Amino acid sequence: MLRYTFFRLVQAAFVLLVMTFLLFMLIGMMPGDPVENMLEGNPALTPELARQMRELYGVGVPLPVRYWHWLTAAFQGDFGFSSLYFRPVLEILGPALLQTLKLMIATIVLSIPLSLLLGAIAALRPGGWMDTVISFFAFASISLPNFWLSLILIIVFAVQLGWLPASGTPLAENPSLGLQIYHSILPVTVLTMFFVGPLLRYVRASMIETMSSDYIRTARAKGLSETTVIVKHALRNALIPMVTVLALGFGMLFSGALVVETIFGILGMGKMIFDAIRYVDFNLALIGLLLATIVTLVSNLLADLAYAWLDPRITLK
Amino acid sequence: MSVATPALEVVGAGHVAQPNHPRLLRVSSLSVSFPGAEGRESEVVSELSYEIAQGETLGVVGESGCGKTMTSLAIMGLLPSGAKVSGSIEFDGKDLTAFSPRQWRSHRGREVAMVFQEPMTAMNPVMKVGQQIAEVLVKHERLSRRAAFGRAVELLASVHIPSPERRAQDYPHQLSGGMRQRAMIAMALACRPKLLVADEPTTALDVTVQAQILDLMLELQETYGTAIQFISHNLAVVSEVAHRIMVMYSGRIVEYAPAEDLFSNPLHPYTQGLIRTLPDIAQPMAELYTIPGSVGGKRPSGCRFSNRCPLGDARCREAEPALREVMPRHHVACFKVN
Repeated sequence: MLRYTFFRLVQAAFVLLVMTFLLFMLIGMMPGDPVENMLEGNPALTPELARQMRELYGVGVPLPVRYWHWLTAAFQGDFGFSSLYFRPVLEILGPALLQTLKLMIATIVLSIPLSLLLGAIAALRPGGWMDTVISFFAFASISLPNFWLSLILIIVFAVQLGWLPASGTPLAENPSLGLQIYHSILPVTVLTMFFVGPLLRYVRASMIETMSSDYIRTARAKGLSETTVIVKHALRNALIPMVTVLALGFGMLFSGALVVETIFGILGMGKMIFDAIRYVDFNLALIGLLLATIVTLVSNLLADLAYAWLDPRITLK
Repeated sequence: MSVATPALEVVGAGHVAQPNHPRLLRVSSLSVSFPGAEGRESEVVSELSYEIAQGETLGVVGESGCGKTMTSLAIMGLLPSGAKVSGSIEFDGKDLTAFSPRQWRSHRGREVAMVFQEPMTAMNPVMKVGQQIAEVLVKHERLSRRAAFGRAVELLASVHIPSPERRAQDYPHQLSGGMRQRAMIAMALACRPKLLVADEPTTALDVTVQAQILDLMLELQETYGTAIQFISHNLAVVSEVAHRIMVMYSGRIVEYAPAEDLFSNPLHPYTQGLIRTLPDIAQPMAELYTIPGSVGGKRPSGCRFSNRCPLGDARCREAEPALREVMPRHHVACFKVN
């Protein structure tokens, strides 16, 4: 197991290295450069100054050479400076990552039990009225666009009823946990709605399949109660395929967070990457996208480890 | 005992019937049907009546789809939802058809247990073998988990599984097919049930392993005095274990007799056909006999076997023959038998 994990980490590091190259090239090929942005925003900037700044930023240097400079610096812990915020990118990255992680963890913590519960209930009597109601909910969850649901919730709960704040970030200097939670209710609700639908559909399908398997009949033949049969025998087996769905869902959730963060004004990774690309902030966009890559790699590794933990038939070598 | 050469052994095989033992199970006029397409009902078991005495083995034989498995699921109270059941099932003086779900749960696993065909899929793949056996004891004998696991190890030893302590900690996929079926038998016999329903317990196994499992079942039956309803499509296998044999065709009993009578004097054309399909080691090159047609599809009017029967005539297609006792304890449902 340890050996396997180590091997996978080495593999992940290699994938990450290749990704730095690909992302660097892609971002480098984006139209426009940061100096051009400054020219637009600041009429006092003379062409002579602009030329000097281009030299300073190394804009004119061929891409592979720039990549090499970036890579050698990155290995020494220097990921460059943000042209948008005028600060080292790592300083901006930290708080943004924290915001997004909070949002994602809250969503996952809510979504997993909710989808297990709803999916299992729906699977008890496929085609029954409970299943119909839950499946309709799942369908709505999958079909409703994030931004639309966000706006509707803001209109209803923040504007008309005035129960909840429309902003996802509290204005206070050092907000208490309660205040943070209060401000996260709407964005987390939207993300949970977005995540629960597909998850519960997988749980439902997986449970229906598991409940018709032979070992469930054996469990019933032992005289076990239906609750024991479902919780002890069916659920764990039904969970195994869920691991893949969750690992893939992580990436989906990350992109979902981008939209939700932008609407609710949360200064998270999504908003950061969005702004970085929009204002051609090379270094910031690069580190943001690399982090998304790391999230995907780590969640895939965790999925494989979870498989081995849930299913004794799988051994990792 | 060998299953590999059935033809040499079938005639006169089987155990001596045990007519004097008190009755354990009595099934009367049991019918099971499912709602089919366009409001039509399809009846999978029709008017079934039979008995099993304590410590007796009843063999149930028939092709796939003749209602063998549905009969055993009815006895276990495990029929799929939507099944309509009529008739009565009396077990040890209790009427099972009147049972509440709660009564069924305390009945299953303790009074009657089941062994299934596929030992791989019949066990939970993510639970230790010992735990799966211990679960029954925790439920019915109120043992602690630890004590139940200890009992499970003993049970694994009693079905001749080598190094049972280690095997109890294994998962089903770590056991061979034969060992899994032994573990299933240990699980079924954990609470010493009065009746064991064995649904094709050897079908998925190698022939040599089949013989070992049959030996084991007979041995345990002698030790515990368990009655067995042994379901198989294989007459040769049933002949090894059954005191009496019930031949089913398309949801009905066509012949019902002590094992030795059935083999020495099969009366129903279907039973005769089944016996003829067994390979004969004395004529290894002979082409195997097959009964023409198949059991599925639309049921003919009258006798359900009439469309495949070599003796079928107009009368057979008009009325359905009733099961009647033509010789002492030998019942058959056929117009052609006197």
